[in-house]
Amino acid sequence: MARRHKVLPGVLGSFEHIDAATDAIKALRAGGHKDLVVYCSHPNHELEEALETPVSPVRLFTLIGGLTGCTAGFTMTIWMNLDWPVLVGGKAFASVPAFVPIGFELTVLIGALSSVLGVVLLIVLLGKRGVMYDPRFSDDRIGVFVPAPPESASTLERLLRDAGAVEVRYAAP
Amino acid sequence: MAVLAHEPVITQSHADVTRDVVSTLEKPSTGYVLITLGAVGMFLVGALTFLILVKDGLGHAGYQPPVFWLVYITTFVFWIGIGHAGTLISAILYLFRSPWRTAVYRSTEVMTVFAVMTAALFPIIHIGRQWLFYWLLPYPNQRFLWPNFKSPLLWDVFAITTYFTVSTTFLVYGLIPDVAAVRDKVSGWRKLVYKIASAGWVGSDNQWRHYSRAYLYLAALATPLVLSVHSVVSWDFASGIVPGWHGTIFAPYFVAGAIYSGIGMVLTLIIPLRRVLKLEHMITEYHFDNLGKLVLLTGSILFYAYGMEYFIAWYSGNPYEQTTFWRRAFGSLWWAGWSMIICNAFVSQLLWFKKIRTSVTALFVISIFINIGMWFERYVIIASSLSNDFLPWAWDNPNPTWADWGILAGSFGWFGMWFLLFARTFPIVAIQEIKEMIPMPRLRAGGGHH
Amino acid sequence: MLTGCSTDKVQKLIPYLVQSEDQVPGVATWYASTCTECAAGCGLHVKTREGRAIKLEGNPDHPINRGKLCSRGQASLQGLYNPGRVKGPLARGAGGEWQEITWDDGIQRFAAKLSAASGKVAVISGAGRGTFSDLLADWTGALGGKVTRYQPFDHEPLRTANRAVFGRDEVPAHDFAKAQYIVSFGADFLETWLAPIENQRGFAESHGFHDGKMARHVAFAPRMSLTGQNADEWHAVTPGSEAALALALANLLVSEHGADAGGIGASLSRFTPEMAAKETGVDVATIRRIGKELAEAKPSLVVAGGVADQHRGAVELCAAVNILNYVAGNIGQTVLFGGDLQAGDSAAGIDAVGAALDGGHVAVLLVHEANPLYALPASTGFAARFKKAGFKVSTSPYFDETAAQCDLILPNHHSLERWDDVHPRAGVAGLMQPVMEPVFRTMATGDVLLKVAQKAGGALARFNAPSFEAQLKNRWAELAKQQGQADAEGFWRAAVQRGGLYGDRPAAAEVKMAAGVEATYTAPAFDGSGEFYFAPHVSSFLYDGRGTNKPWLLENPDPVTKLTWHSWVEVHPDTAARLDVRNGEIVRLVSPQGAIEAPVCVYPGIHPQVLSVPLGFGHTEYGAYAKGRGVNALDLLGAKSGQAFVAYLSTKVAVEKTRKYQKLASTEGNPRQLGRHIAEAMPVALAAKGLTPAEADRAEGHPEEEVNTERELEALKGWRAAVQQRNQRGNYAGDHPQWGMVIDLAKCTGCSACVTACYAENNIPTVGEEEIHRGREMTWMRIERYWEGQTTPTSAPEPRFVPMLCQHCANAPCEPVCPVYAAYHTTDGLNAQVYNRCVGTRYCANNCPYKVRYFNWYKYNDAAWPEPLNLQLNPDVTVRARGVMEKCTFCIQRIRGAQNQARLEGRSIKDGEFTTACAQACPSDAIVFGNVNDPASRVRQLKEDRRGYHVLEDLNTRPAVTYLAKVLHRSEA
Repeated sequence: MARRHKVLPGVLGSFEHIDAATDAIKALRAGGHKDLVVYCSHPNHELEEALETPVSPVRLFTLIGGLTGCTAGFTMTIWMNLDWPVLVGGKAFASVPAFVPIGFELTVLIGALSSVLGVVLLIVLLGKRGVMYDPRFSDDRIGVFVPAPPESASTLERLLRDAGAVEVRYAAP
Repeated sequence: MAVLAHEPVITQSHADVTRDVVSTLEKPSTGYVLITLGAVGMFLVGALTFLILVKDGLGHAGYQPPVFWLVYITTFVFWIGIGHAGTLISAILYLFRSPWRTAVYRSTEVMTVFAVMTAALFPIIHIGRQWLFYWLLPYPNQRFLWPNFKSPLLWDVFAITTYFTVSTTFLVYGLIPDVAAVRDKVSGWRKLVYKIASAGWVGSDNQWRHYSRAYLYLAALATPLVLSVHSVVSWDFASGIVPGWHGTIFAPYFVAGAIYSGIGMVLTLIIPLRRVLKLEHMITEYHFDNLGKLVLLTGSILFYAYGMEYFIAWYSGNPYEQTTFWRRAFGSLWWAGWSMIICNAFVSQLLWFKKIRTSVTALFVISIFINIGMWFERYVIIASSLSNDFLPWAWDNPNPTWADWGILAGSFGWFGMWFLLFARTFPIVAIQEIKEMIPMPRLRAGGGHH
Repeated sequence: MLTGCSTDKVQKLIPYLVQSEDQVPGVATWYASTCTECAAGCGLHVKTREGRAIKLEGNPDHPINRGKLCSRGQASLQGLYNPGRVKGPLARGAGGEWQEITWDDGIQRFAAKLSAASGKVAVISGAGRGTFSDLLADWTGALGGKVTRYQPFDHEPLRTANRAVFGRDEVPAHDFAKAQYIVSFGADFLETWLAPIENQRGFAESHGFHDGKMARHVAFAPRMSLTGQNADEWHAVTPGSEAALALALANLLVSEHGADAGGIGASLSRFTPEMAAKETGVDVATIRRIGKELAEAKPSLVVAGGVADQHRGAVELCAAVNILNYVAGNIGQTVLFGGDLQAGDSAAGIDAVGAALDGGHVAVLLVHEANPLYALPASTGFAARFKKAGFKVSTSPYFDETAAQCDLILPNHHSLERWDDVHPRAGVAGLMQPVMEPVFRTMATGDVLLKVAQKAGGALARFNAPSFEAQLKNRWAELAKQQGQADAEGFWRAAVQRGGLYGDRPAAAEVKMAAGVEATYTAPAFDGSGEFYFAPHVSSFLYDGRGTNKPWLLENPDPVTKLTWHSWVEVHPDTAARLDVRNGEIVRLVSPQGAIEAPVCVYPGIHPQVLSVPLGFGHTEYGAYAKGRGVNALDLLGAKSGQAFVAYLSTKVAVEKTRKYQKLASTEGNPRQLGRHIAEAMPVALAAKGLTPAEADRAEGHPEEEVNTERELEALKGWRAAVQQRNQRGNYAGDHPQWGMVIDLAKCTGCSACVTACYAENNIPTVGEEEIHRGREMTWMRIERYWEGQTTPTSAPEPRFVPMLCQHCANAPCEPVCPVYAAYHTTDGLNAQVYNRCVGTRYCANNCPYKVRYFNWYKYNDAAWPEPLNLQLNPDVTVRARGVMEKCTFCIQRIRGAQNQARLEGRSIKDGEFTTACAQACPSDAIVFGNVNDPASRVRQLKEDRRGYHVLEDLNTRPAVTYLAKVLHRSEA
């Protein structure tokens, strides 16, 4: 479903067959249309291969988050124990082994949260706005959207239909 | 993806899947409503009991020094344990790419979240001055008083907070594409609700790209939690010097027990649920068979742990340990001790037989035994160990009262309430992962992999 | 709750227009006084804060108790603030209902009745000898009446026997400290017999372990009292047969060990060991051996009392014991005549009063400091006779059974509110002074008598002293003259300050055996045809029933059975098995006079043919705490005791099972040590060799318990050093005192005075019977009593006492598990508990191996101190709220107080300048507290003792409390 603000002009073809969709994508990419938007109800390897999707950089967020958590855990515990030295059970104030669980848990916690944050950022930043959508894409259809000026629409429709698109629609500004 | 020999062939199309799952969200039957109301009622009983405890003090409960912990901590550990199966199935089995998890993992994940949510109430309920529980958190205060990180209870605070946050995130995260699918099926105000909940998900290649990757990492991070959280809980006891607690075997022993009890609860929940929601064709014998194997494995680990506890008590020559374990078997709490061993160590061995593993009724009965047995395991570890520690003069036995049972019932009500409400509001079966397993139709026959 | 004051008193508390010089807010004022809880007349130091008495301690100058005080004495405070006190003068209205009246009215009425009585006046008084008693006697005499002095347990048999054997109508003093060998025929001299504190101090001195030696204590009695539990050898004897045994011993001394028979040898000769064995059930060999040991030990001491001198043969027994002491040469050595001043009229006097009442010769009856309607068996019918008095007046401060039957109650001040004195023995005169404003609208009876005298005039007109205080001062002016003191005023002031006139015991009088004394013994008769001897015993806490209205005495476990709050029937295990009754099973005891029902307490320390029930319960009045609690053992006793005293042990009862049960309110868990080395003990021979308890254990051939190897211990030392090094930061840097304690189990008698002291000092709430059932008592200090050995009648069980309190471990397991640092270690080695930081996770209590942490399950502080008991609370100690953990603090308030004082005076603390409440109270001085870092301190010295050990040492908790092993003086034979 298109956003309120300006609609991105282009052609949207929807497919029922996976091989048809991949054919179309390959053809389009061969024809120089690299900035496609492909809809699917689930992550599909064939589509990914066809699109030659690069690996997501989200892992950086996870790594940095995890490291941050670990450091935070140990520094907090050690500092607090030295900041307010209280003798309990004849143990040393900064007895690191006791702080391992804290360090570990914070690693996991902050690691996980930052990964989710990463996903949100990446999707918002790298995603296209105003792309045409069809509710059936979340059901059993595959959608291939080609951003293009209206004049080249007809050629694209032919290409999509040849590949096996069951339906083609135009998005006009 | 790895294909197991007897992996079931799913006959429905993608459209069928969406239809079937969305249909579970239609108007619930009166029976369902009544059961839910029953759960709410039980929760209210617990709430009332809690109010009385806050008003008068913990004295109403069956504490009898030297038994300073009793039913509340028992139930706390019980619920924490329940959670673990969910994480195991949804995270670890995901990493192992085992296909049978797909149909069940959503329900187990939901169970996890609500079980941990229930457990998290108990540390507050059980302390003497419930309104001061936040003193356990390291928040900055004008007097720079920090909590004692050497205390296992502090580790607990962090372990549980982390566990709850991560598993909730994991659940919600996995839910988003399914919510989008529902959004595109329903109409009216519900559409609006799901639209907001789906956070603008459209399933574009860009979204899937980051989403799937991060899901992998979340699973990878949740995995160690399965092992760590209950280890930390076990250290609540193991780092104490009480004979019967002070054992190095506790961490693995508790983790195994947690998963064992968790799977037990999974069975108790999904066996009726799949009928109510008409999902028999998605959650099949094949799934129960695999769950059964997990029960057998973890149950056998418990068997070993129980045996080892007694062996070490004898072998160590430690008089305190020996007395404790003698009394655990033949002391005044013998009945609790034996119900734990029978329900866990023995009953689980029935699952060597495939007939039993694949019989839904048998599994359901066994799952009840597991729940009871695991509650008693914690009761025995706490009550029995505390009731006879070092100074014979101080020995005494606890007597649980209405205050204990009230809170226990309340916790089941609280858990059931949330679970039942959830099952009617969000897809209890993961739409997009099922679809991932169903090959998409092709123009040209054969060719390609799926 | 604000401690030390209740809000309605606030206006009175602080704003003095002119501050009285002895009242500084926040600073305690001490007054000297005298205890009136029993006839011993111990000296008191009363601690007051902001005008309230908050603690009673012994007066160190007092020759009888030397600074120590028993539980009953300390609990006297709860008498002062007792909710069951009569709040003001009461008169019975036309309809028999009580109406509050003014004092003038009350005195008016009393005076009127007296004027009309025309000499038909009778007085029953339990007041000890002193100015008041003399005034009362004169006063009554002037009216033509007579004062009957009456106290239960006034040792009439002893007195009679002394008249008979030595021609002295008195109770001698007994020097336990000097005795090398102590034989006790039922005398509970550590509990209620004569002057228990003095006895216990002496006993600790002789029977405690000093440089390789200690006295030996042999007890013969049907029941093992606390005193019996402290014997090296206890023999259950057939009730009433003790005299035969005493005479047999005397006979042995004379015939086989050449003692001087004092001219009665002939009558002794028939008392052969064989005969005694037949009578008592003690075997001949034992009797011979004890005779031998007795002969060898010089001086020795033989005493008779308690259950043993409460049967009809009591006089004979006391006579026999006199003879035994005489031939053993103890008279003038450890048995000292010539000091006694007490003289009672006893039950005989009461019988006389009864007769007078029957004859209608009593128009006005005044009862003072006595409660005959409770203390006399119902079967005496005294209650009925009492009603025959024309007009009955009580001065009881409490609404007791007798007061309830009176027409007029003119409540006396509590002894802490009034001027008074008491003369317990020659040379000792104890003073009482008002230490605070009266709690209620009461008046000293002395003043009442004087006021009445003025009102009534006539014969009484001569009693014209302005006040009883004036009367007292006059009396002491005479005393000053006798003492040859010119300055009476100075003498008086000095006496008030010191607590009285504390002269030494006069030189022992020369005592000869009276002519014609014969050694006689006849087996006493018993009423009833029941199977069992019924032996009511005097509870060391409730005494004659006057303790039953004090929660401290009800909740502090009975030292013998560890039961609280209710009556019980002690049954021997074998008997219990035979009758098929269990602990808590309610049985009905039936005697010709009546029946009582009480739960069984299976107790190995009792003769299989004997059932014992504590006296003091079963009040029908006497305040909310006492009323209806337990059963009154006196209900089973016969009217005709046959002697001039109530023979408590004179009935045989039958047992009927009711098949009803009652959970015993016991604080005992498992009374066996299970070889855990909690209460260590070693034979005197090995202790003399300087062996440690562990070495002694091995020497006796017990398998050695591997704790730590040498190398492990080395490693531990290194580790400790390292940790201590690392912990030198923050407040922990630098040197600090390390507080520690030593408890000598060779001295501890388990009397539990320390527990009561702890209750009083630390505002410990009493939780009540229901909570005791759930094991929730709050006693920071408890006396654990473990049984050793068999419990068959042939081999008596051996009790071992361990006072258990927070051990203030250096490696405290409770500390690290607290998530909020509520439990932590102070710089001076205390294991501190910060109440207002505690959130109540209770992990500390789970992890405490000594189980000395106590949790506030409910709002105990609401229920424990009903007005005005709360006025007793110690303002220096927090009253703990619900939901927090509490425990022994080593009386940190005293430590800090002393430190502040020292700081003000710019010096360091001197050893022994202060101590903990328990150590202060301990009558046998078994507890020593101080700074272990001070090499000169007494506690440090004692910690070096070879007998020293730590409980549960193998846990490496490194406690600050060291126990010195008990020393067993077993017979070599």
